[in-house]
Order: sequence, then structure tokens, then C-alpha cells
Amino acid sequence: MIDFLAAAVRIATPLLLAALGGILSERAGVFAVGLEGMMLMGAFTAVVGAWASDSSFIGVVLALVGGAAIGLVVGVVAVRYRADNMVTGLTANIMAIGLTSYLLRVLAGGGKPIAIHLSPLAPWPVPGLADLPVVGPLLFPPLTYLAALGCVALDLFLRHTQAGLTLRATGENPEAAFASGAAPLRVRMLAVIACGAIAGLGGAVLSLQQIGTFTDGMTGGRGYLALASLIVARWSPLAAALACLAFGAAEAFELRLQTFGVPVSSYVVQMAPYLIALAVLAGLGRSSKMPASIGRPLPWDR
Amino acid sequence: MSEAVPPSPGSPASVRLTAPFRLRDGEAMAARIVVAAGLSLLSAALLVALSGHSPLAAFGAMALGSVGSPHQIGVGLNRATPYLLAGSGVAICFRAGVINIGAEGQIALGGTGAAAVALAWPSGASALSALAALIGAAAFGALWAGLATAIHLGRWVHEVLATLLLNFVALLLVQQALAGPLGQFGAGFLQSPQLPAESWLWKAPEFNAHVGFLIALAAAAALSVVLWRTPFGFAVRVAGQSRPAAAYAGFSMPAMTWGVMLLAGALAGLAGGVEVLGVHHRLIEGFSLGFGFKAVTVALLGALEPLAVVPASLFVGLLEAGSLSMQRQIGVPSAVVVIEGVTMLFVLAATARRT
Repeated sequence: MIDFLAAAVRIATPLLLAALGGILSERAGVFAVGLEGMMLMGAFTAVVGAWASDSSFIGVVLALVGGAAIGLVVGVVAVRYRADNMVTGLTANIMAIGLTSYLLRVLAGGGKPIAIHLSPLAPWPVPGLADLPVVGPLLFPPLTYLAALGCVALDLFLRHTQAGLTLRATGENPEAAFASGAAPLRVRMLAVIACGAIAGLGGAVLSLQQIGTFTDGMTGGRGYLALASLIVARWSPLAAALACLAFGAAEAFELRLQTFGVPVSSYVVQMAPYLIALAVLAGLGRSSKMPASIGRPLPWDR
Repeated sequence: MSEAVPPSPGSPASVRLTAPFRLRDGEAMAARIVVAAGLSLLSAALLVALSGHSPLAAFGAMALGSVGSPHQIGVGLNRATPYLLAGSGVAICFRAGVINIGAEGQIALGGTGAAAVALAWPSGASALSALAALIGAAAFGALWAGLATAIHLGRWVHEVLATLLLNFVALLLVQQALAGPLGQFGAGFLQSPQLPAESWLWKAPEFNAHVGFLIALAAAAALSVVLWRTPFGFAVRVAGQSRPAAAYAGFSMPAMTWGVMLLAGALAGLAGGVEVLGVHHRLIEGFSLGFGFKAVTVALLGALEPLAVVPASLFVGLLEAGSLSMQRQIGVPSAVVVIEGVTMLFVLAATARRT
């Protein structure tokens, strides 16, 4: 049981970080379809940074930078030049898949990808928590705690700060935000870049914390699942944590099924997260209300 | 409305929910596309230089690989074919303001449909097997697009999410089919047995191009007629410009969404079918990886006009055939993907609406 919970949390962590970034972006009015590419770039820069500098801290910092770089690209094309958000995000994802794979090979100086093997980040015994009776053995590496903290921090930021209000106003009604003295263009750009950085951190959880290396396209659709979970959570950080945990539990359950040799095709099992996401979205129906101005380009002079 | 007068806050123009793609000022747009193409070439050169090779030599290899010989032109035409078919379908969806990004899954299932029909077709009627396989491909694609439409319209799920999530399901369904009923036992990886030769598309000798490109040309021309010369096409154009105007005119948005989605699904399915019947002659796992997303690129590059999607798809097809040659030359894979991604981002920034 503890193993199962630990697996659920492990799978949920990168999803949650990406979803938190996505909430920031979508609440500001920009569809976060680029999460996949941001995660992938973060996963790549984290591993290469940690490998080159021999410091996981540098790796984590570079994950933020790598993810933010994709965020910047999306921001320039979709916010500054007002291209369609969805198509821009998808394209950024494709570019990130190609770029990470290309750079990995260029780094090695030839046609073969460079081989990097790092030891995954070790669990952190947080004083106090580790001594608790039942959950005590549930120790997690540092970035997992960071995801939990970030979830609470983002909730407080959105609901209780002036900047959070401005960000939400930009997503709901940018004209009103502009009239009250905000700069919607700048708010959206910053939100998308921050989204990239946080999603990049989610990528680092995958590559640096859990596996210790980078492989081509290693995010494997997790960015899209994060996108689905933040919509299921109706753009609330705390609900997103629950949604991601639910996805994590579902996937952990599938892994169990497979190891116990239940005669279900692995391809059918792999469909489960997408089918669950679709079912939940369909179940929410009309009640899943998006930020009112999401995806709508800003007037040209803002 | 000129560029100098931005819509005032709260005016109907500024609260419009759909984002119609349209050309404002042809010449300025052309200039921006030229700048975007130049910047893309520059980025490609930088990318090549990064790997320690000469960009000039690489571009030389690219030019030879795209138009250097009839064979290479044929390769480019074959690559352009699925993009043209699926891209003109995507174009008509986007025209209607329906952001359908499900071509990826519809193409994969279309290929599966073609293979399934071709393998099961009775040998007594082999003259019709290619035609039947193509019809099967279109039917599978339309079915998958119809499923997305039912979820979108029935449960108010955003069409981007419905089509996107179904893409993943479709790709897994194809793998499941190849692991089960359609697969070739003992092949080592997921593929179907070779299809009977009667179902293969006719190929021009010496040229290596199959007849699929002509089918795609005819489809694009027909779609252009539908878009500009029929009441349905008029409704699609009005809805893309302004949903309220379409509602005021009495056009039914659900009926139109069904129409454009089924059309686009059938065309995407056909794209998968010609790829399987014309190029591979069997269904292979991942044969259409990335095709659907490139169809979106091509549709936007062609300004969402089916006839203009023809040169756009040729450009991407020849670019790809060339980049593949270049990639072999410099020995670094995935360069093609980056160049395509970067090119599309520049084109997106250049072609977004300005007012």
C-alpha cells in the first residue's frame, strides 16, 4: 500500500509541476498547449547542466531556464505576434522534441546520442515528517516537496495578492485590466515564461530526480495529461494536485496490473489516462468554465 | 478597419471569441513570409554550423536532395501528398473556426482502415481493391473525427482537447491492431504483412511518385469549390469571421461543425490510406508520426485556402526530401524536425492577423 502511494506520488509530481505552470499561463489568458515542450526542454537542460557542472543544483536552475526559453518562444509568437495559441504550443512541442534530440547528438560530436548517467536525486528525510507513524516511510526527493509547496504558494498568489488579481483580470478581461493600469501584454508574457520555467522543473523531476538520464521524447505525452488535469481541476492549484494524484494512482494501478500478469493488452492499458481525461472532461461538460478571454489575442496596442 | 485604428475596449470587434485567419494586406503578408523564410534559413544554417559542418555544403545537399533528380522530386511529391490531403481538410475546419488538431490520429487510423480492407478484400474482385481500400481509409478517418465531434458538441469539451486526446488513443489502437489481428507474426516489430499487389497505387516509372498526389490535387480543387461556390462553404466562411453573424443568419453551428469535421476526417483518413497503399505497401507502426501536426503547418502556410495549400504542401514535401538528404550528409538525425519546427514558428508569427 505504501509502495502504491509512493508510486502514485512519484508519477503525479512532474504532472503537478507542469499543471501549476499551465494554470499560471491559462489564468493569464494563454492556452498552455506548450507544456509538453517546456517539460522536455527542462528535462534536457537539467540533465546536461547537472552532467556538465557535476551539480544537481545547477541542473535544476538550468531546467528553469530551459523551460522558460520555450515559454519565451511561445510568448513571442502567440502573445506578441498574436498567432493561434494552440497551434503555437503544438509547434513549440515539435520543435522541442527535435531540438533536444539534435543537441544531444551534437554534444556527442557525432550521430550517436551522448550517454549521460547520473544517480537520481536521493530522498530527503525532512525532520519531523520522517518520524510520523504511517506516512513516515514515504520519503521523497527534494523536488517533490517543492511541488507541494509550489501548489500552496500558487493558490495564495492567485487568490490573495495584487499581482495574482492582475493576472486573473488579464485572463478574464484584458481591456478592464488595461483600464485599471495593468499592462496585459507584459502580464501574459511573464505568465507564459514563468509557466515554462515551472513546467521545465517538472521535466527535471522526470530526468534528474527519477531516472538520471535524458532519452528522446522522454516526456511521452505527460505535458498533455498535465493540461487535461488542470482543466479537470478548473484552474485551481489545490484541485490540480488532487487531479494529478488521481492520474498518478491510475497509472500506478496499471503498472500493478501489468506486473501481476492480468491478461490485458499493454496498449489498451496505456490508453487509460487519455480515456479517463476525456471521460472526466465530458462529465464536467459545460461546468468547466474557462478563463473568459483565454486564447483571444490582445488588442494590437496593449 | 485600418491598422491605425485599433478596436476600442468593449467594442464588438474586440470581444470576438473566434479568431478568424484571414489575409489583411496581401503584399505586407508576402513580405513578412519572405522575412520569415529568410530567418528560418538562417536558423537552419546556425543549427548546421553548431554540428561543425559547413552550412553551404549542407544547403547544397538539401537542394540536390529536393529537386536534384526526377527520383528525388518523386520522393518530395510522395511526402507532400498526405500533407496536402490532410492539410486542406484542416484548412476548411480552421476556416469555420473549428480548431481540429486530430488529423494525426485520423491519418493513422485511415492507414489502418486501408490495410484492413486491402488484406480482407476477396481476390475475385481484385480490380476494385485499391478503390475499396481508399474508401475504407476515408471511412475510418471520418469515424474518428465523428467521435471527436460527438464528444465536443455533445459534452461541450473544447475541440482541441477532444481531438488531441483521441490522437493518443488512435495511435495506441493502431498498435493494438498490429499486435493482434493485422500484425505479421514474427516480424520482430509491429507491422502488417505485405498488402496484395493489386491494392498498390499506380506509380510513375522512373519517377517514383505514386498517383496519390493527383488524388490530393483533385480533392483540394473540389474543396476549394465547396468553400467558395456552395451555400455550405459560405456558411463556413461567415462562421469563421463571426459566430454571432452566422447565428444571426440562421446557420446551424452544430451542423456545420459536423460537416467540416467529417470532411476533414475523411481527407485525413485518405492521407493515411495513400501513404500505406502508395509508399509502404503495408501498415507499419508510426508510419504517419507527425503527419497530422505538419498538416496544420501546411494549412496555415497555405492561408487556409485549399488551392494555396497545394504549393504549401509541395514546399514542405520538397523541403523534407531535401533535409533528409542533408541530414544523411551531416550525419545528425532530427535536424529535419528542428528546421520544420522553427520554420513554422516564424511563419506563424508572420501570418497571424494584425488588427
